[in-house]
Order: sequence, then C-alpha cells, then structure tokens
Amino acid sequence: MPPAIETRDLRKEYGELQALSGLSLTVEEGEFFGLLGPNGAGKTTFINTLVGLVRKSGGEARVFGHDVETDYQQARDAIGLAPQEFNVDRFFPIREVLAHKAGYHGIPQAEAERRADDALERVGIYDKRNERFDWLSGGMKRRLLLARALVTEPDLLILDEPTAGVDVQLRHDLWELVTELNEEGTTVLLTTHYIEEAERLCDRVAILNEGRKVTVATPDELTERGTDTIAVRLESPPATAPTLGEYAHETSLSEDRLEVRVDDGGSMAPRLLNDLEAAGYEIVDLEITRTSLEEIFVDLTDREDRTVTRSSASGREDGEEGRPEDDRETEKRETEGIA
Amino acid sequence: MWSTGARALFRREILRFVRRPKNTFLPPAITNVLYFAVFGIVLGGRIDRIAGFDYILFILPGLIVLGTISNAFENASFSIFHGRWNEYIHETLTSPLSYLEMVVAYVAASAVRGLIVGVIIAVIGALFTPVTVEHALYLVVTMVVISVLFAGFGIIGGLWARDFDDLTVMNQFILRPLVFFGAVFYSLEMLSPLWRDVSRLNPMVYMVDSVRYGFLGYSDLVPLTSLGVLVGLTAAVLAIDVYLFERGFGLTD
Repeated sequence: MPPAIETRDLRKEYGELQALSGLSLTVEEGEFFGLLGPNGAGKTTFINTLVGLVRKSGGEARVFGHDVETDYQQARDAIGLAPQEFNVDRFFPIREVLAHKAGYHGIPQAEAERRADDALERVGIYDKRNERFDWLSGGMKRRLLLARALVTEPDLLILDEPTAGVDVQLRHDLWELVTELNEEGTTVLLTTHYIEEAERLCDRVAILNEGRKVTVATPDELTERGTDTIAVRLESPPATAPTLGEYAHETSLSEDRLEVRVDDGGSMAPRLLNDLEAAGYEIVDLEITRTSLEEIFVDLTDREDRTVTRSSASGREDGEEGRPEDDRETEKRETEGIA
Repeated sequence: MWSTGARALFRREILRFVRRPKNTFLPPAITNVLYFAVFGIVLGGRIDRIAGFDYILFILPGLIVLGTISNAFENASFSIFHGRWNEYIHETLTSPLSYLEMVVAYVAASAVRGLIVGVIIAVIGALFTPVTVEHALYLVVTMVVISVLFAGFGIIGGLWARDFDDLTVMNQFILRPLVFFGAVFYSLEMLSPLWRDVSRLNPMVYMVDSVRYGFLGYSDLVPLTSLGVLVGLTAAVLAIDVYLFERGFGLTD
C-alpha cells in the first residue's frame, strides 16, 4: 500500500511569503501522525493542499498514491477533514448537512442519512440533529465538524486543531474517539498546539517551522533528545557553583540548591553525587526532572528561527543589516505567538 | 457527469430555494402582478397594439424572460458567493465531485429556479389575459437555454464577487438595464435603424425575441438564428465556468 500521505518538495508561495518551503513528509497508512508548529508554520496550508483548498506552487503531494491535482477525486474521496474554522452549511439542519456531505461522496441518500445519524450519535449530538449550525454551542460545533469528517468513513482523517478552545471533558471525549478510530484502521493526521495532545495520541510527530520540516520523530525520541536537570540540595553550599566534568552542560547555584543540566539524568546522577562528595559536599536531597516535550518543541523551533534569521540576515542588503539579531528574534516570536 | 454526488449537490441546491419561497418565489410573483396590473391594464389600455397584439400580451414574454434570467442568475451567484463568504463551499470543494459535476449541479439547480419563476409569471399573465403558445417546442428549448445561460453567468458573478454589494451591482446595474433595453416593452421595429443595430449587440434582444416567437409566433429576428446565438453563448459560458472551477478562481488560495 502506498503511504497515506506523501509529499516531496512541496512548495506554496503567496507573493514573497513562503508558506511551504520544500516540505517532504510521509505518513504511513494506519499511523496517528501529529503536526506541531507555531502559528504560521504552514500546518493548515499543508492540509489545505491535500484537500484542494490551496493550489501548490511546486512539488508533489499524494494521498494513498493519488496525486492531489491530477487524481484529485480519488485523493479527496479518501479524506475526512475537520478544519480549524467553522465552515458549515448554515441553511440546513445539521443532520441534512451531514447527509449532503455524504452524498457528495457518492453515497446514496438513504445510506447517507443513516450515516449522518450514526456520526451524530458517535460524537454525542444526535439529539441536536434538527438544529441548524448557528444554534449549537461552541463545543457542539466542534463535535459537528468531527461528525462531518466521519460521515464519509474516510481512510484518512485530518483534524486541524480539533481541541482548540474546547473544555477538558470534550477534549478527552475527542481523544477517546479519534484513538478508537485509529485503532479501527483510520490514518489520523492531527495538528495541534497542545503538546500533551501530541505526546498522548501520536505515533510520530513532525515539527514544522516557517514552512519547513524541522524534525520527524516519535514523542519518546523527541523527549530523549532533550536534556535533564539534576537538582541537589547541599548541606553547606559554596559561594559559587562547583566546577564539574564535561557531562555537566550547565551549572547554577541558588542558595543551597545546585542545578546541573545533563544529557541523561538517570545515568549521570551517581557520577554527579560521587564528584560532589569527593569535593567535600554533603547532599541533603536530590531530584531529577526530564525536559518536557513542550520545552523541546520551543527549543527546536527557536533554533530553527535562529538559523533562518541568520541565513536571511547574511543575505540582507537593506537597512536592517545593523539590527541586533536578538531584537529581530524577539520581534518574530511576539509576532508569531508561539503557543 | 450526473453521478450520485452531482445529484446530491443538485438536490441540496434545489432544497435551498424551495424551502424559502418567501425569498425566492413570492417577490417575482408580486412584482409581476404589479407589472401586469400597471403596464398591462392601467397603461396598456392607452397604448396601441404592437404587431397586432394587445400591449399586455406583447410584454408578457419579456417579463417572463426578465424573471427567469434574474432568478437563474441570482440563485447561482448568491449560492456560490454565500458559500464562499461562509466558507461552506469547502464541503463541495473537498468532495470527490469533478469540477464539471460541480458546475452542472449548480447551474442545473439555478436554471430550475429560473424556469419555475418563468412558469409562475406565465400563470400570473394568464390571469390577466388569455395566453397562447404558438411554438411550444421552440419555447421550451429557448427557456431552458436562457435559464442555463444566466445560471452560468451567475456562477461567474458568484466567483468574481468580493462583497454582497457586488451581487447587487451585477443584478441591478448590469442585468436589469440590459433586459429593459432588450425589447421587453417595445418592438425593435419602433426604433430608428441606428438603435435597432445597436440593440442587436444586446444578448437580451435575442432572448426576448425568441420567447416572444415561442408564445406569439412573432419575432423581429430570425428565430433559429437567435436560438443558435444563445446556444453558442451558453456553451461558451459553461466552458468558462468549468475552467474557473478548475483554476480555483475565487475558490482556492
């Protein structure tokens, strides 16, 4: 079977702006795949390219082997999309909206209506089936978008920030439902700002920044890439932090608390304790904290920003040449509002 | 071209206007009652017969054309634009319908609305004066062609519009003047040769003349030539519709 999604050097330009800058990504069939990235990273553009709402400027994109432009009908038939924005037909009760959507996918009317009922039941808003979209609460609207994506029984379910702005209960309900669907064999592509969501649900995640792929890995692999912090409380703390071996990437002392950043806290802790005891310190307490996926995400996208900013600054010939790089970075982060 | 998916979209489009008769069928019905009452009865009695027909009967085909094409155009342009405005046209665009099927479904449904309005106006006209149909087949074919033509124009309008005001501009400032100068209320024979020639550049003239021929058996132009012009124009407009959908004009980023 071809991959559920396969893109090669996918590009999208809006004038000067590069929304996708040569993105190559493969999502295997049956995977639960996460797309992480700050606002403006290109996540929604990537998704919209797959479903035909954005025309690519270059490169290739295939869904289950079908080119999204030349075989657009087969590609779109395989996809169920729950978008970020509420783009639902306001003219009809929601049951009919779902039946229409199923109909567009070639499902006969009686079967489409049955599926609409099933989908509404599955997301828990069947009793609202005769209401129009505008009369639903925010959470119900979010559920409806998911029901609409499910009504065609897609092989690839794309969820663009499905839990943005929803309450905890609904978030957990949605997690449970999409996990169930994935276990039933549906490939899931999820974009999210909630790192916990990606960590909890996804087999692999891709981190995007400024239209390019920063990395693809399992959540565990990503976490392992981060450093750990060993915090020890000393009986008689020195005035300055003691000098340690190369394994200690960073050392800081605050009153009696010494914090040491290392690659692997579990294996480095005995060595640190030995070194401290050898230097005459008495240890009262010890604590190891792993870097969260969120911190790794911020670190990776920040590092990418620095690389991008440097490379664009080196080619810059305008009046911004003299601006300190840090200023530009601060401005960029504020503009993009990394979540 | 007429798959289950296309039929589903066609059905959705039909239901959209059928369930809102107060917005879709009642306004042209009231307007035409007024037209027939004022132009036909009140003023018509003081106007000479034209080409041997009572004035009310002479203007009836033109009023049918006006109602039919306005509604076909309005339905297609509004449906497309409203879908774009609220982005629910994405439901159609992200489906496996071919671009041709999308256009056919939108155009067919809008043409049906235009034809229904045309029949309503004919029935209202029949309440004011006896109506005969001299060339039934020609009339039916012409009505279908002009409905499809203006549904096709409506698609272009709906894709082009950037605001609701644009829709109003198209209907009130382009469509309506063309119809009024399309020999709805007068015969081309009443114009000077210069204005008669200028009028021939107005596509409405061919439509009004053709429908008048269908009803009354009277025409200023050669009927089959008019129908040929309309069929050619319709084919061209539909081809443009499909092309614009393929290119994603007004639809995709």
